[in-house]
Amino acid sequence: MEKTKKQIPVEEGLFYQPSSPDEEPYLIGAKCKDCGLVTFPKTPVCPKCAKRDTMEEAHIRGKGKLDTFSIVQAALPGFKAPSIQAYINLDEGPRIWSLVTGCDPSEEALKIGMDMELVIAKVREDPEGNEIISYQFKPSGK
Amino acid sequence: MRDVSIIGVGMTRFGKYVDRTPQDLGEEAVWNAIEDANVSVKDLKVAYVANAVGQQLTELKGTIGQHVLTSAGIFGIPVINVENACSGGSTALRGAFLDVASGNCDIALALGVEKLFCGDSARSAAAMASGTIYAKFGFMFVGLYALQLRKWMEKYGVTKEHFAKVVVKNSYNGSLNPNAQFQKPMSMEEVLNSRVIAEPLTQFMCSTMADGAAAAIVCSKDCASQYTSKPLIDIAACELVSGTFTFPDEPHEEITTRAAKRAYEKASIGPEDIDVAEVHDGMAPAELRLYEELGLCKEGEAAAMIDEGKTTLTGEIPVNPSGGLAAKGHPISATGLAQIAEVVWQLRGEAGPRQISNPKVGLTENAGGWSMDDNAACAVTILKR
Repeated sequence: MEKTKKQIPVEEGLFYQPSSPDEEPYLIGAKCKDCGLVTFPKTPVCPKCAKRDTMEEAHIRGKGKLDTFSIVQAALPGFKAPSIQAYINLDEGPRIWSLVTGCDPSEEALKIGMDMELVIAKVREDPEGNEIISYQFKPSGK
Repeated sequence: MRDVSIIGVGMTRFGKYVDRTPQDLGEEAVWNAIEDANVSVKDLKVAYVANAVGQQLTELKGTIGQHVLTSAGIFGIPVINVENACSGGSTALRGAFLDVASGNCDIALALGVEKLFCGDSARSAAAMASGTIYAKFGFMFVGLYALQLRKWMEKYGVTKEHFAKVVVKNSYNGSLNPNAQFQKPMSMEEVLNSRVIAEPLTQFMCSTMADGAAAAIVCSKDCASQYTSKPLIDIAACELVSGTFTFPDEPHEEITTRAAKRAYEKASIGPEDIDVAEVHDGMAPAELRLYEELGLCKEGEAAAMIDEGKTTLTGEIPVNPSGGLAAKGHPISATGLAQIAEVVWQLRGEAGPRQISNPKVGLTENAGGWSMDDNAACAVTILKR
């Protein structure tokens, strides 16, 4: 009997995966009530204000621009090569590290400054065949 | 604070030693340093021992410093275990330096020891990535280095040929270093034609795993001549910083620049005074970036520096005379102290065929890890004869 393959988030509390087509995914970050700084992954203390209890959970819509990228031909055990590893400048402010999906792993497919959007996608399969999923970014409109 | 000298250094050859243990490697480095310093075990009053991934890859699951030192015949003294990713060795040196500088004791030991080859390269690779929160996404340091290069290369016209020149230089230096894992000079063609790991980085531009250990013994300058007749090498500065948060729309000063500024200020020495440098070339392009970040040249001039051969053994300011991480291999926590050993040998005039001409001031730069959006740690140490 074949077991049902599951989708397992790479980490809990990092992103929201839509449960219906009407919803959009978002990143779970934090925003400072005092200065407005947004952090992702969320931090319990605002790095700018350095005071307690100013951060509250913030849902980051996941629009941004490609800051820079690399096409990586090597991979850790369990991961597939090539992968695209990038910095994304989120509209909300923070620059974050992310995998890029939804396009060819080629220099031609990507351009610094291009619009990117959040997707929830597989990063690898575990030995049981379950999909380990995470936030990733893709060129907008692709 | 008292003046502090390094009176002994020692290391193993870096390499693949599947059958050797951290205890075995540590013993060799420590006793090489003890003999070099001409001290006895009872003279050592405190020890700092750096290790990064021993708990993941060896039988030792904690207090690795005590395990290693006890088997080397050193026990009963305070042993402080240090983990600071690739900067662990320099962090251990800082601890030993401060213990002596503060007057807490006269002689202290710093050791970095690492076992990366465990018979399963996949496990080793996973352990090396485990210092970041992004390992579970497939994050690789090589990708990070590569993506950080892109804008700098475009801005200053730096090409992969420049990176290959760094490898050619360092592989030649490594060929003169009996402690290097790789002792074969490489040509531009070999470097450029090796497998692409992450464009523009090819295989031979990337440092590789190694097992190994390196140690230094520091002593109050007042009593150093009781032990050694070799030239005393003073620690003019040993500065450690951690990374900073990157705020949107604000310039982000490189971690190396911040560490170097502190070290130059503390030592009252400027980059123009540096005669030799050992820098953390985890990937070849990092060496070029470091020329700029350490102030050895102005921003945008690193490519010209390598083109003009200014950092070769006979150049104006030789960089990585040991062969650097690329030729030596990179046993995480041992690397920083191997850099120190090389600069000490250079300043003493003991570097054999790779000896540079009469250096008086040397610098090491040892960065490591990745936390939030910056290196986790960076140490810059300035030594002078």
